[in-house]
Amino acid sequence: MAADKKVPEFCVKALLDAGMDQAVCNLAFTRKTELNVEAGNISLLRTTDDVSLSLTGIKEMKKASSSINKIDEESIKKSVQEVVEFVNASETDPANGIAELQPPESFTKGSEKPDVDLMYKRMKSFLAYTTKKYPTLTLEQVILDHSAQHRYYNNSNEVDFKSVRGGYSIMLMFISKKGTDISSFNYIVVAMNDLSDELYNYDGIDRLLAQSVQQVTTENMQGNFVGDVIITPECMGSFVSIITSYLGDYPLITGTSIYKDSLDKLIADEKFTLHSTPISKELTTGYFFTGDGYKVKNSTIIDNGVLKTFLLGLYGSRKTGLEKAVNSGGCYVVDQGDSSFEEMVKSVKKGILLCRFSGGNPSSNGDFSGVAKNSYYIENGKIMYPITETMVSGNLKEMMKNIKSISSERVNNGNSILPWITFSGVSVSGK
Amino acid sequence: MKRLDIGRFSNLLTGYTELRLQETRSNGISMVDGTLMGNAKSVSSGVSARSYKHGSWGFASSPEIDHEAIKHVIKASSENALLLDRYEKKGEPDFQTVAAAGEWDFTTNRSLVSQKDRVGFVKDIDDYISKKFTKLSSRTISLGSTDIEKQLLTSAGSKVFSMTPRSMMYVIQTVDSDSGPVELYTVLGGLGQFEDVFIKPSSYFEKLDEIYEHLLNKAEGVFPKAGIRQCVLDADIAGILAHEAIGHTTEADLVRGGSIAADRMGQMVASPLITLTDFAHTCMGETCPVPVHIDDEGTLAEDVTIIEDGVLKSYMHNRESALEFGVKPAGNARGNKFSDEPLIRMRNTAILPGTSKLQDMIQSVEDGYYLLQSSNGQADSTSEFMFGVVLGYEIKNGKIGRALKDVTISGIAFDMMKTVTAVSDNMSWKVGMCGKKQPISVGMGGPAIQCSINIGGK
Repeated sequence: MAADKKVPEFCVKALLDAGMDQAVCNLAFTRKTELNVEAGNISLLRTTDDVSLSLTGIKEMKKASSSINKIDEESIKKSVQEVVEFVNASETDPANGIAELQPPESFTKGSEKPDVDLMYKRMKSFLAYTTKKYPTLTLEQVILDHSAQHRYYNNSNEVDFKSVRGGYSIMLMFISKKGTDISSFNYIVVAMNDLSDELYNYDGIDRLLAQSVQQVTTENMQGNFVGDVIITPECMGSFVSIITSYLGDYPLITGTSIYKDSLDKLIADEKFTLHSTPISKELTTGYFFTGDGYKVKNSTIIDNGVLKTFLLGLYGSRKTGLEKAVNSGGCYVVDQGDSSFEEMVKSVKKGILLCRFSGGNPSSNGDFSGVAKNSYYIENGKIMYPITETMVSGNLKEMMKNIKSISSERVNNGNSILPWITFSGVSVSGK
Repeated sequence: MKRLDIGRFSNLLTGYTELRLQETRSNGISMVDGTLMGNAKSVSSGVSARSYKHGSWGFASSPEIDHEAIKHVIKASSENALLLDRYEKKGEPDFQTVAAAGEWDFTTNRSLVSQKDRVGFVKDIDDYISKKFTKLSSRTISLGSTDIEKQLLTSAGSKVFSMTPRSMMYVIQTVDSDSGPVELYTVLGGLGQFEDVFIKPSSYFEKLDEIYEHLLNKAEGVFPKAGIRQCVLDADIAGILAHEAIGHTTEADLVRGGSIAADRMGQMVASPLITLTDFAHTCMGETCPVPVHIDDEGTLAEDVTIIEDGVLKSYMHNRESALEFGVKPAGNARGNKFSDEPLIRMRNTAILPGTSKLQDMIQSVEDGYYLLQSSNGQADSTSEFMFGVVLGYEIKNGKIGRALKDVTISGIAFDMMKTVTAVSDNMSWKVGMCGKKQPISVGMGGPAIQCSINIGGK
């Protein structure tokens, strides 16, 4: 990997020489090694190299960018000229700006080099394990990859950051089939620093495979009711993404966020605390600086139900007059509760265990509805049967205030650490 | 991308190998509430090779496109295939391949428009919206264009050049209502470079007026009655249904994985009124939104009739699955970026028009819904689907009633398609993005269909 610090310095200088008042260079070199399984068979070994060079110029508060995947001098000079042409076509916006001077710093995490032999060994062992333990299960697609990245951020305020990161990730997509009966597909993504353990031992994988086998036979849940919904950690990841999507630049600049006036106000039950931890040692993934050039810190987004920060970047912050966030979100961790999963199920009179949510994009007012996939009906404290053709609906704002319990157990998939959460008052409709 | 004589690398392609050179050029402008927030260009190019050895595949790519990089990538992909073959020892036979060749270039013949004029186009659209639609609380316009230029050479002798552009403009309009912000979007444009697609802003004013009127109706909208209802699904929703809920279950890789379609070949899976085709490049004499003449495995692309008069007739294949299923491949293997391997993908999937008139279909519904526009959609190997519907109306006694709030529709497609009682005599297309490992552009089309469907509500 031909990572070279001189490239970003050259780019920043070239932009300034071309008449820009301010200049930014984001550069990344990525090498990926990928082992693919299709319909249960190892099918493809893939190795890819790529470069991403993004140049941004600001002149008289007018901004534009150009991205290429080359680092030779001729390509860079052409890209610089395109920035100049685009800046001239832009319009003045006082919110345009770049990160201020911070001490130069380099960061490293994980291993840069993949062990292809070990990747193959682990995959082979995983396929043997699933074939023996779950004969009715088909691994539609498995992608085990190792990704290594050298990333640079430089700007004309002399910000100079570099990070080197590497790690493994596995994505599994699977269904189960008995005769002509098939389950819904399910999937899971887990990130790991190394392959020291068998793949089926990583958090959540074996539990979801076992569930898939049960889900070949489903029942139609009759009628509609308003009840408790226990959301699994895998599914909770989707809901956390929806919540945080209301906190970024676009919904706050346009004033369409349901939380636009909620800073320092209670937006969730007091039991709920959400962190964004890009520099956590507990998680495999993460990042050290933002795309707009700030060294990141971990943050608490919702503290005992109170919204403590938006996820605004520099531009969004200047545009709205609100404080810039200390990171760009992601790497979410929800604090554990004091109930066991077993106790949570026992406390549900009528409800469902929601394992995957296939839903439409929520409305701008927080209304959502969608199909409960890979999910189970719960009655009188017992998980009864897997369900099909069942819809759940509600309003996200109201739902977050109706948390009944949070589990003491959590799942760490390398990208996030999340518990099971029971929400009350959710509408469930069967056939 | 500099045009190379790709044929001179043919002596390097030993065994089964595909060599692809590709450049993807994008231009994006976004304007939010009158402020130009995005003005950017990106170019990504490189070379990739994919090799096959006795049932194992190897793939490699590099962002460089010179002689040395091409040699290196071919060697690396071959070594990956050999390594996997040493591990797996599948002993599968090589493909019987037929070469195909041709050039398809959709580059504009008009003078290229400067970035300043592109920004001016967006500003004209924004000016029209801000002056005329006084009740809006927010407006967003995103103009994006992408050119994909490919050169393909295969060891079987296929040699292809294509330049396929698309230009799209997304317009989101938002109003405030008692229950919070309500928004509606529209997507304009399609196949072609900016110069051929977006000629003058005023061509789009009528469509923008229409969306604004729908939005004001939606702001006063009601929830539908939940449950199985008689609905007329307009072309936009019929198209996404054809792609997501039926199309994916008939891709041979998902069939191999055990999708519902695996056990339905030759069976009635829909009303006899339904014929569903994945068009390669031309439908009823018109070029489709995503024309594919030769796919990224070098196979000549032909139409695939998936369902004919309600009966499941064909799956979609790449070379490998076609060999396994004993059929002829029809050009469904495509990769998105230069660094992506070809996967089995739909191209332009559509339900064919019928004989009914849309107006008659609406008039025949006593108590139901007319659903016009979807947001997102997902489907399952079981053909259970879910689509967000962002624009719809009640139908009461055959007449259009109140607008609906955002709702979700769902069902099992292979059951729901049997409830179709009418198919309209017109059809329309749109370009969408399909996410299956790699996001890729696809055409989705259809007429309006009348059916019973599960609709969410209160």
